[in-house]
Amino acid sequence: MKKYITLFHINWQNSLQYRFSLVIYIGGYSLYIGVLLYLWSAIYHEGQSVGNYTLQQLTTYYLLQLMINSIIFSYISWDVIDNIKNGLFSNFLTKPLDYYLYWFTINLSGKMLEALFVIIAAGGISFFVSDYIFFPEHLITLIYFIIAVGLGIVLAFEMDFCIGMITFWLTQVRTFKYMLQTLILFFAGAMLPLDLFPAYLAKIAEILPFRYLIFFPASIYLGKIDNPWLSFLLLIFWIIIFYVISRILLARGIKRYEAVGA
Amino acid sequence: MELFTKSSAVRTFYEGVNILKTIRRYTGLYKAFLFQNLKEDMIYRSNFITLVVMDIAFVSISVVLFKIIFGHVNSIAGWTFHQSVILIGTVGIVREMAYLTFRRGFLELGNHIRTGTFDTFMVRPILPNIHLAFRHISLSESLGECIMGVILVVYGFMHLNTWSLLSIPLYVLFLINSLMVYYGFSLLINSIVFWVIKSQELNTIVYFFMETSRYPGDIFRGVGKILFTFIIPIGIIATAPASILTGRMGWKFAAISIIVGVSFLSTGLYVWKKSIEHYSSASG
Repeated sequence: MKKYITLFHINWQNSLQYRFSLVIYIGGYSLYIGVLLYLWSAIYHEGQSVGNYTLQQLTTYYLLQLMINSIIFSYISWDVIDNIKNGLFSNFLTKPLDYYLYWFTINLSGKMLEALFVIIAAGGISFFVSDYIFFPEHLITLIYFIIAVGLGIVLAFEMDFCIGMITFWLTQVRTFKYMLQTLILFFAGAMLPLDLFPAYLAKIAEILPFRYLIFFPASIYLGKIDNPWLSFLLLIFWIIIFYVISRILLARGIKRYEAVGA
Repeated sequence: MELFTKSSAVRTFYEGVNILKTIRRYTGLYKAFLFQNLKEDMIYRSNFITLVVMDIAFVSISVVLFKIIFGHVNSIAGWTFHQSVILIGTVGIVREMAYLTFRRGFLELGNHIRTGTFDTFMVRPILPNIHLAFRHISLSESLGECIMGVILVVYGFMHLNTWSLLSIPLYVLFLINSLMVYYGFSLLINSIVFWVIKSQELNTIVYFFMETSRYPGDIFRGVGKILFTFIIPIGIIATAPASILTGRMGWKFAAISIIVGVSFLSTGLYVWKKSIEHYSSASG
């Protein structure tokens, strides 16, 4: 356990070096969210509305999206892919570190740092649109929300780790990953809340596990889910499934990696 | 007096010839660079196909999103679905125009500066910004989006209630104007590279700049209207050309767009020129 805490700490400091690019990225993404807020406010001021959302709820949804997206979504697979491709992976085989836990820790510390920055950014934006920000009435809603985000971090990491593992089989994994990432974001509700989708797409989104990454925590915050316990159970079920898949892929991948002998 | 007019006429004549010569020289250079880069593209043929397919997928997602929104509303700030499709398409076309001229050069700029290869650009008998642009012309990088863009614009155009043939050349004119805005903006942002070396990430800003420009500029009000017209002109890139094509362009907006285009390009070139003086070679 101690070595992973050290790892967490080291990576935190490494990530701090890249704070400039982090700030730029969050700035750019905030610009995107800002434009979307203008879009919705234009639509609502024309007297139109979408689904059962008020302008206040939609504004809050996109600000939550900005935060959750940064906090939950894992991007470590870029590094995992590089690692396996350029043979640095061999080093890990000799170290007393578990490859899965290693990346889990790296991801967690990176995400915590990003969370700090993005909460400041979201706070800044909400200052300008304070009339349109929704706050939950009960403390329990906030607690549910934090649990959902916490579980979301784990699930998103596992999915990303699996994508990284594909490198053992496919060398041109980057374009594939890029497409997969966009699909995941789409079905997670990053661009639009999933209950605004037309029925057939909403059905697909309902079955897929990606909804737990953005739509689910945001809906909890907005008070649209009163009793999230069943969803929590399903979420944990998905976490276990993806954990098993990650482990199988890793074990098979290592064998394959040795077979190539890179 | 007569002598003075004559000599100035002669001078203008020679200047005119010089400009023509310069234009011819740069067109020749452009062609040479284009063919060279095309050959490079052709080496990685499978990569070429993946890029195109991926682009088409990304644009399709944008269209699906607009389609879903229009499942709930009739118009966005006065734009119907078919008109909005023209907006999405226009962003794709402007992007490809940019890749065929300057865009990828800026993506490589950070590398050139960090490794010191930017020196080469300083000593050649071409303007550094033009050399940087031409060296990295890319047909394939955004080709898929362009193909989708043209299809979307044509599709949207055919579904308009009113249209005139005159709007087509004007559309092209405003596309060029948008390219000027895009180039000016990129020059301004990338000039920062000469002051802060580690800043390839700056192009993330340019990426979001283009991503957000596919929403109609009419959605902005108040401070946002000024901000997104004059300072971060995302309300012009796609909205100005698409407004012409859909017959919603007023004189005021047309004039503002052209003014923003010209001033962004000239400010961009000026700031770039000043910043390049600040370049200190990494290899020397």
